[in-house]
Amino acid sequence: MVRFKSRYLLCEIVFEKPQYRQHIDVGSVNRNVRNAISQMHGDFGIGCCSLRLEVTYLNAYTGIVLIRCQKDFYRILSTTLLFITFLETKNQKFPCFFNTLHVAGTIRSCQKFLIQYNRRQLVLLLRDCKTKKERESVQTSLLQCSLKVWNEDQPYHGYEEMEGADTD
Amino acid sequence: MSRPGVEWRGSAAERRVHRNPSHYQYLKVGLECEPRGPGLRLSDAAFKQTIVAALRGLHGEIGAALPVDVLKFEERSLTAILRVRGSDLVKLWSALTLVASCKDKKCAFRIIQVSPFLLALAGNSREFILD
Repeated sequence: MVRFKSRYLLCEIVFEKPQYRQHIDVGSVNRNVRNAISQMHGDFGIGCCSLRLEVTYLNAYTGIVLIRCQKDFYRILSTTLLFITFLETKNQKFPCFFNTLHVAGTIRSCQKFLIQYNRRQLVLLLRDCKTKKERESVQTSLLQCSLKVWNEDQPYHGYEEMEGADTD
Repeated sequence: MSRPGVEWRGSAAERRVHRNPSHYQYLKVGLECEPRGPGLRLSDAAFKQTIVAALRGLHGEIGAALPVDVLKFEERSLTAILRVRGSDLVKLWSALTLVASCKDKKCAFRIIQVSPFLLALAGNSREFILD
């Protein structure tokens, strides 16, 4: 059975100022990544990657983005992300860089990694808390991080279905 | 006693055979222009600029940064000997194939000879004339 294999790159976009995160969306990240591939790897690069290049998931609050590309040419995408220094949207340039956290073959694997990563990040946030109020709010969100609560949470189920429907 | 490709480890000899052991590949290329009259006048720097621009078009900034050397350039016949790393040969060759114009004149790159050894480009039985 022929299966179209993809590679999913889980990246974190680190901005110069955290408030820039709300200005970006899936379309602008997609456009910027395509422009960067076209500039860095030329016509060959954009021709290889363009078909299955997609920003599957974008979290504006944390700056986490999941980019999909073809398995054979994911190297082109991963090397291009190193060269992106700003994101351009609506004639505004937001300086940033892409931090690749994880590369996987399925969305589910990236999800698992992201959950563990977020859990570790919360612990780090708790350590860096400055006021008592911040500390208490981080502590309550840490205690709420139980599997039972996550299963009731709807948004992740949509991505499991999307992975199965990948048949173009 | 030491043959190329044979390494001696203690008393046992080890022979390694690589599929493509060459570090560099040498290309003999010519630039052909369509109007056969006065033709194109290029300096060696302009010739290299054409090659780098071709690489940039097809393979982007990373392609343009490939170390390509013009070892010899003949201005009259517009032929040159290029040197490129073995792994980059495919990129260079494909970029040269897709060049359509140079300084607003229609032209094409003709790859006359490719070899991992520079000495092989020195003589050619088609062009060699014995008096």
